[in-house]
Amino acid sequence: MIPEDSRTDLGTIRIHKKVIASIARLAAMEIEGVKRISANFNSDVWGLISGKNPSGIKVDIDKNEEIRINVPLVVKYGFNLPEIANKVQENIQRAVEKTTSLTIKDININIQGVEK
Amino acid sequence: MRFLTIAGIVFYTSIIFFIGGILIIFSFNYLPIQDAINALTQYLPLTLNSKIIVGLTGLLLIIISYSFAQLILGKMQQEKTIAFANPQGQVTISLSAVEDLIKRLVRGMPEIKEIRPDVIAGKKGIAVDLRLILASEVNIPDLTSRLQDTIKNKIQETLGIEEEIFVKIHVAKIISTEEKDRKRKETDKEEPRSIPYSGYGRV
Repeated sequence: MIPEDSRTDLGTIRIHKKVIASIARLAAMEIEGVKRISANFNSDVWGLISGKNPSGIKVDIDKNEEIRINVPLVVKYGFNLPEIANKVQENIQRAVEKTTSLTIKDININIQGVEK
Repeated sequence: MRFLTIAGIVFYTSIIFFIGGILIIFSFNYLPIQDAINALTQYLPLTLNSKIIVGLTGLLLIIISYSFAQLILGKMQQEKTIAFANPQGQVTISLSAVEDLIKRLVRGMPEIKEIRPDVIAGKKGIAVDLRLILASEVNIPDLTSRLQDTIKNKIQETLGIEEEIFVKIHVAKIISTEEKDRKRKETDKEEPRSIPYSGYGRV
């Protein structure tokens, strides 16, 4: 839960990991062929406790302030999986870099299911 | 990571052994349950401090269990994937996603009543094991050969891989749908359903 921050003349700008995860989720959902963002173990447990349905996108920031995003996906049936994964990676990179001006090291896609 | 897994396994094995041993002791009446409860209440004085210690121990056990479950599940998921790298990062495709794909593919084939796919990714390529339940009017060699080709092509096309795909088929059952339907119709005609006490209470 370490927020990403940068200093300006007027003060500090902090961007929370959740914001990056939200941008990544929206960017992924823009791609035709993406059915939904899948959940992981943590978000499943949190979903059970809170009654909400949080996405399983995980954002890590390393010591060099480089970002690593893990995106679990469910893809629509009939689409080429590597092609979809590639498009999602490109769109997330474009969206996050455009919106936050942060450098992304990796966008790891994990395709967990195929649905109609 | 390996150390944590081993520690977790040892921890859970000892707890299960301990519980098993206690149950055996109770079952053979080596120690009556009432005596055990009395001993517990005697040696665990319910002061505020002891309550805090017991509560914290419980919390610690929950955290350990949660972390261990997460570790094991994460590892299991990592092992069951097909992975390749892109300039932007890594792409992993869960083998259950490939199994979903096969189920969707087969849904359009009326001859196949049920399918249970199991996908294993190895060094030599991808092995697909299928357990099928078929309709009786089907030509099995023809259907299975068609199915093997279709699955092989679809996986190669969808995953964009050129690796060898081995499709092994096991026909587990053959269902005669016509016979089933006929029998159902006959029983419906012969035995009109009688509703118990249907005549009572009507004006």
